[in-house]
Amino acid sequence: MNGRERILALLEGREVDRLPLMPITMMFAADQIGANYRDYATDYRVMAEGQIFTAEKFDFDYVNTMSDPAREAADCGAVIEYFDNQPAAIVENQARLADKTDLASLKIPDPLGGGRMNNGINAVALMVEKVGKEKLVEGWIEGPCAEAADLRGINTLMLDFYDDPAFVRDLFEFIIEMELRFARAQIDAGADSIGLGDAAASLVGPQIYEEFVWPFEKKLIDGIHEMGALVRLHICGNTRPILGDMARLKCDIVDLDFLAPLEEGRKKMGPDQVLLGNIDPVRVMRNGNAELVTSTVAECHRQAGKRYIVGAGCEIPYDTPEENIQALHDYAASHRPDLDDS
Amino acid sequence: MQNPDKFTKEKNLTPIILAMKDLKELYEAVITGDAVTARSITEEALSGETDPLSLVSEHLTPAMDEIGRRFEASECFVPELLLSARAMKGAMELIQPRLLESGVELLGRVIVATVKGDLHDIGKNLVAAVLEGGGFEVIDMGVNVEPEKIVETIKEKDVQIVVLSALLTTTMPAMKTSIEAIEAAGVRDKVTILVGGAPVTQRFADEIGADGYSDSAVGAVAVARKAVGA
Ligand code: B12
Repeated sequence: MNGRERILALLEGREVDRLPLMPITMMFAADQIGANYRDYATDYRVMAEGQIFTAEKFDFDYVNTMSDPAREAADCGAVIEYFDNQPAAIVENQARLADKTDLASLKIPDPLGGGRMNNGINAVALMVEKVGKEKLVEGWIEGPCAEAADLRGINTLMLDFYDDPAFVRDLFEFIIEMELRFARAQIDAGADSIGLGDAAASLVGPQIYEEFVWPFEKKLIDGIHEMGALVRLHICGNTRPILGDMARLKCDIVDLDFLAPLEEGRKKMGPDQVLLGNIDPVRVMRNGNAELVTSTVAECHRQAGKRYIVGAGCEIPYDTPEENIQALHDYAASHRPDLDDS
Repeated sequence: MQNPDKFTKEKNLTPIILAMKDLKELYEAVITGDAVTARSITEEALSGETDPLSLVSEHLTPAMDEIGRRFEASECFVPELLLSARAMKGAMELIQPRLLESGVELLGRVIVATVKGDLHDIGKNLVAAVLEGGGFEVIDMGVNVEPEKIVETIKEKDVQIVVLSALLTTTMPAMKTSIEAIEAAGVRDKVTILVGGAPVTQRFADEIGADGYSDSAVGAVAVARKAVGA
């Protein structure tokens, strides 16, 4: 069974030889091939090389095209700052929609128009060409809350929910259409799965989440499913207050960050939801040793049960010791999903 | 922004009742994040007999304490926190010049900064707002701030407290670098240095030679007050 088959089999409820392994690596992957992060984020060949090298070295079951939250915003004309050894970032005090009225004239950029989205799509295509038969290829898009924060400025968006809810809805509407097009192009390029990152959604609390964010996330997820791809939901941070709503999104994989216990996720999301996580990326993966990684992932597996994929709560930090990633791999490689079979 | 008609009715009330009623409402307005009301009440109060300092210590600070408590208890979330901070800042803008005029000494001059390499500023902004509400003069240096800039500002502006925020494990070392730069410039004795942000711990604060740490914005004010002996 290769990585791609393993993940697909688990998701479809078929038997698998061992637990799938899908940690998020970005800066770590760039580091593995000695690339600087600016190149990793802006040149799809560097990204594909880093992802494939890392996935093969540590026997991950997938490769992924996430690098920073600014791809879509960059193509919308936002001011982006690039760093040699850090993810690109949006310059918040010059946000693209600092003036709300600019939304009316903002055109959805063509994902294949030669910008940063296009670069992400090229990364998908190259990964599919090189390893698409053995490893699952996962594309990436931003969720409504995260992308709205990127375009409007996160501090301002938080106030907009109260100051001008109609604007927020218009903005989310725009974003969903843009993200569906971006997802479509990645799926056309061969992506098996689309990762949906909606980091800022963990900040707004359950009421705003349910009323504003959820309906748009749902629309996006349903749209991607209709295109025939899988969806992995990744909301960093403390999602405990919104776990129940997240379950109703019907994503194929839900990541939980270390602040949201898997046990609680399992309880709120039912026995069938595939959960991924939630090892503390910093305290355990980066600062811990192999023994701590092993005992932590074993406990995660126990809490999540057999609908489980091995990974950390969020990105594996770049200076994580390789032994710790090896330990993560070794646990996955030596355990079947059903603890009784292992 | 302000609605001039909104308070005409209340202007007919006797001043004493107005003052008492309004001031309770100032607390409420900050809690609910109603910036317009918070400003109007503050304006009204300042045009009367009310002591500007008591507006801060008896109404604004308790309101921010309460909203901070609700946030810690997951009773409210970041949008509500930022709304309250905005309401409080609006009131402070009116109060601060009056404080200076009346010769009341602010508790101290503070610079707040997110350290070099780090762009997270929601927590830093909240700490800045709550410190302002707590009676400090705040100089917000923004994000991704070079240690040299911090040193320069300490020297130029006669700063007593330095608040450093970091949200990334990779930028926590920049807190240490900042403290070292302050030491190297010979101004370490002049300032109290506080550090915070989600990944920062008391142990880390001790290790890098910071003077104080807290895991919340309200806690930051308590440490800052202690530092100036208030
Ligand atoms: C919003 C956010 C962003 C936004 C920031 C926008 C902005 N203008 O701030 C964006 C999208 C830009 C971003 C980018 C990144 N982020 Co980010 N982000 C977050 C997120 C979702 C929320 C952080 C936040 O604002 N919390 C709310 C505030 C109120 O809390 P706070 O800052 O801790 O502040 C409180 C206290 O700590 C205290 N406090 C704060 N400062 C101080 C100072 C003093 C002196 C005191 C006493 C107290 C104090 O008071 C505050 C109020 O109580 C967190 C995950 C999460 N949900 O927590 C990740 C998170 C912080 N980000 C993370 C990462 C890895 C990144 C990126 C590297 C991701 C990437 N690969 O692209 C980049 C780095 C960019 C950079 N160079 O800084 C990680 C950090 C992991 C780690 N420990 O290193 C987190 C934890 C996500 C995760 N689980 O991995 N991020």
